[in-house]
Amino acid sequence: MGKSDPIATPPQTDASQAPEGTDLIEWYYERGWSDGFPLVPPTPEKIAVAVAALGGEPGHLVSRVPPRWGSLTREVLAINMVMAGCRPEYAPVVEAAMLALCDARFNLNGVQATTHMASPLLVVNGPVRKRVGMNAGCNVFGSGNRANATIGRALRLVLLNVGGGWPGLLDKSTLGHPGKYTYCIAENEEASPFAPYHVEKGYRIEDSTVFVLAAEPPHSVTNHFANDAEGILDSICSAMSTICNNNAVSAGHCAVVLGPEHAVTVAKSRWKRHDIRHYLWAHSGNRWGDLYGNGRYGKVYNRNLPVWYKREPDARTPIVPSPDNIHLFVAGGEAGRFSAFIPGWGHMSAPVLRGVGDARPAGGPECSDGACAV
Amino acid sequence: MTAIPVYDPRGVVDAAPLTTAPRAKKLEGLRLGLLDNTKWNANKLLRGVRDRLAQKHAFGAVNYYRKESFSLSAAPGLLSEIAANNDVVLTAIGD
Repeated sequence: MGKSDPIATPPQTDASQAPEGTDLIEWYYERGWSDGFPLVPPTPEKIAVAVAALGGEPGHLVSRVPPRWGSLTREVLAINMVMAGCRPEYAPVVEAAMLALCDARFNLNGVQATTHMASPLLVVNGPVRKRVGMNAGCNVFGSGNRANATIGRALRLVLLNVGGGWPGLLDKSTLGHPGKYTYCIAENEEASPFAPYHVEKGYRIEDSTVFVLAAEPPHSVTNHFANDAEGILDSICSAMSTICNNNAVSAGHCAVVLGPEHAVTVAKSRWKRHDIRHYLWAHSGNRWGDLYGNGRYGKVYNRNLPVWYKREPDARTPIVPSPDNIHLFVAGGEAGRFSAFIPGWGHMSAPVLRGVGDARPAGGPECSDGACAV
Repeated sequence: MTAIPVYDPRGVVDAAPLTTAPRAKKLEGLRLGLLDNTKWNANKLLRGVRDRLAQKHAFGAVNYYRKESFSLSAAPGLLSEIAANNDVVLTAIGD
């Protein structure tokens, strides 16, 4: 058993106990159930507390996780949370994130199996960020915060262990990226001059939400010279307008993270969220001919892009089909004139926004079962 | 010796495994289906294979189908249509 047989049912009986004195970290490594880092060996007490934090009923099915389609019960989720190093109070965030990832519109089956490097990015909004001690400030994508690190790690362990996304077996990613260990941030609502992301999408400010996007790593955007919205956003447009990010050739959705200093500069020009998204959409993109070698390899149609894109050498090819496909966040430390562009995987996956706990979306045609494709 | 509890983090797979269909012994007279997954080069690959096969074998019919998206399973209706109207089916990734 183990990862050599990714779709088989695990033998529950022979994995229930180990002899006294066993080095449990090595025991779990030997079974191939780790992301590469040492796991926290679960104990009955820690699992019971995590199950209780998830709402009790250990056999309650949260979701089935593709491509292995393993059953993620609350007990199995609790085991992976403990292994990742989560505190019990992270449970509502982890559970909401798993439900968002398993929403059919996200197409986790494809995200897990693709040869592309995409990994789910999780962005958390609302009061739960502070309640569980998430970092939305300095080094927000980096190391040093337990909640960010272990919530993202718990998701990855579930994708590996329950979803079977083992490299080379059911995860065929050519390169992967470092966010496949953990890729979890919070929006810096306190430092942002704009309404929080989830409020823009119809939630109340006192609601907490999780947003998931199948994403490439962040690409840094440096701009230390501009003192207005257009100057800052032109730099982001430049980072967006490369011919080889996956949005450029597969459309879909992307994210832009404004650093707080950049956000304040943009806000001083009296620009709002929708102004920013529309400007980024209107002034980014590539020349069609540049995307495909300017005819060197014959005429290319590219069925992955919308039919309404003009397929002529000098036509502008948008990075994503609509300003609504640019998901805008403010995050990072308050000093530093940096932002980030985060390309998505493409039209094959819709990002999903879901309330944590009882938070419910305002509604709309794209919302069902407590989550919205956004 | 006392034992210490350990836990399997993988969860159970409930789905029953399916067996593959028996392999066709000859192609003459059979209805050939081709399922294009819409990847970059799937259509070129499948059409090339279709033309080579058609030179060697007299198929009863040749039917070409396309998935909605290469990363999603084919729609149930499309799968039913393929199953009802074909004896052998060829598909390709064509990345």
